[in-house]
Amino acid sequence: MSKQFQFKLVLLGESAVGKSSLVLRFVKDQFDDYRESTIGAAFLTQTVTLEDQTTVKFEIWDTAGQERYKSLAPMYYRNANCAVVVYDITQTASLEKAKTWIRELQRQADPSIVIALCGNKLDLSARRQVTEEEASKYADEEGLLWSETSAKTGEGVNAIFNAIAKKLPLTAPPSARGARAAAPGTTRQNVDLNRQPTARGGEACNC
Amino acid sequence: MGIVQALLSVFLDDGDKLRCINAGRLRITFLLRSPLYYVCASSWGEPESVTRSHLEYLHLQILSIVTASQLRRIFERRTNFDLRRLLDGSEPFLFSLLGRMELDLAMATSSLNCLQLDQSLRVRIAEALVPTSKMKDTLYIILVARGQVITLVRPKKHSIHPADIHILVNTVYSPSIVNSPASASWIPVCLPKFNPAGFVNAYITFLHRPDADQKYYQRTTPENNESADTTGASHVAENSQGATSRHTTRLVEDSGIGLVCISGGGEFETVRAWCDIVTQKLNDDGSLDALARAVDSGKTSYFASQLGIPGLRHFVYKSRSHVQITLPAFEEPYDTLDAKRRIVTLYQTVHDAIHAKSGQTGNLKLQCIRTEKEIVMGWITQPFELYVVLSPRLPKAAVINAANAVTRWVKKEEGQLFLRDAPVF
Repeated sequence: MSKQFQFKLVLLGESAVGKSSLVLRFVKDQFDDYRESTIGAAFLTQTVTLEDQTTVKFEIWDTAGQERYKSLAPMYYRNANCAVVVYDITQTASLEKAKTWIRELQRQADPSIVIALCGNKLDLSARRQVTEEEASKYADEEGLLWSETSAKTGEGVNAIFNAIAKKLPLTAPPSARGARAAAPGTTRQNVDLNRQPTARGGEACNC
Repeated sequence: MGIVQALLSVFLDDGDKLRCINAGRLRITFLLRSPLYYVCASSWGEPESVTRSHLEYLHLQILSIVTASQLRRIFERRTNFDLRRLLDGSEPFLFSLLGRMELDLAMATSSLNCLQLDQSLRVRIAEALVPTSKMKDTLYIILVARGQVITLVRPKKHSIHPADIHILVNTVYSPSIVNSPASASWIPVCLPKFNPAGFVNAYITFLHRPDADQKYYQRTTPENNESADTTGASHVAENSQGATSRHTTRLVEDSGIGLVCISGGGEFETVRAWCDIVTQKLNDDGSLDALARAVDSGKTSYFASQLGIPGLRHFVYKSRSHVQITLPAFEEPYDTLDAKRRIVTLYQTVHDAIHAKSGQTGNLKLQCIRTEKEIVMGWITQPFELYVVLSPRLPKAAVINAANAVTRWVKKEEGQLFLRDAPVF
């Protein structure tokens, strides 16, 4: 009997680093040279099958990177089992932003959350500003998955989601498995959109 | 920019407001919505009130992105704040609004233009959209197609302002959302007429996905009469043609059926689960299929020529009690963009005169404009406003007869032209 898992994944990172392109490559194996900015958050799903026939269904929230949506992020990562934090290898500042997201996740998301750091736009490596060493060293120190991808060529995209899938069932709580995780109503708190999010680590997951 | 600032402040110092500057054919119109100034330069010759209302809609669209209170706070803190930073990424909303306003007569008449649809189908769909008790904090459920509202389910205690619907529909159909490959979007949006100070959440999903669905509808229309086995064969052939897929792409835009759920709360999983159930229900009982067929086969619009009224070319009928309009699709000689613009401007001119919107001395009951190419008449009564475009050769008596004939026709077809008795919860 093959096992089935269902996980919530959130994408975070500065605007224009290629979060939506990364998801589009992963979910539909497509790439658009021109994409409008994501507004709010976009929802997509994709299922991957691992070597041992385990299937992992990702419910993906692709969040907007613009500053004005920053306060909404907790709504998405609060119940997430995994997060992909994306930076652009041609923009040093985008790695700094990624580190800020990672710190926020480590403080406020579920402690068991699997975090992957992803350096996108590998096809533009001629204009690279972030070295592999720098990023991988940081990822090692923080215990993150790390890899570089190109949503444009597809390089590394499936690999990073597969790596997450492999790491997930082992570390995520058993209740994230199958139908129970899909049951609605696990998010119980209304969000007051005018309120600034306050730092509260303790309320992450009640599954 | 500097000149505009200087001009505005000269007038503000005198406790006055600069409304517009006329320079030959060019008119520069100003709208002050503190802390923002809106300026439009136009040489279309539309009434000043029309430009003003366009700027007002632009303001509402901006509020939908940043809220009035956010805006105020930011400019209180920093008077020289560059608003572009805050609007970054939402430019498509503004561009699509500008495009929409040019020709949208529902926006021009502050009303709603619903999709023409068989009454029983509309009712059946609306009933499926009534939220369950689990869906607390639900504000509105709206189903849209072709940029028009199909039905709208709302709480008993409040209705929705047409301007909020226009802003919402524009948001849903802006490329950021409608072209998104995602299965759903969840966006914070401020409905300025509902509450300019805060955001609500909009869950937006297109029930009609590209590819398979679209090919199916495109295929069935011309091939309905063929036997079943040849249908299968030609399907394969069509799939391999580039031309077909281009055609399909166009259809996607046209017949995209969007489900929008506005919630005051943040429980997107609940909303998503409910929307999935509703979609399934609409699929299972065939309503979605019937709706898609109606949209696709052109049954959701009509032409003035179908009314069989001599000399009638086009009209706009506003039911004042429903706050809704109905109008035929533009056809010859108004099927080119320039002609459409010209006739829309004529409608706006008559609408402006009847309602005395640009400082005229008083409201009118009836106004008739005769150009070289047509007669445009506006007529306002207690239950309706009617604007008709007729052949220029028509005698006066025939103009009145045509107007009366249009109102009779609308009365007869009311059931499918207007959204009436949508369920409340």
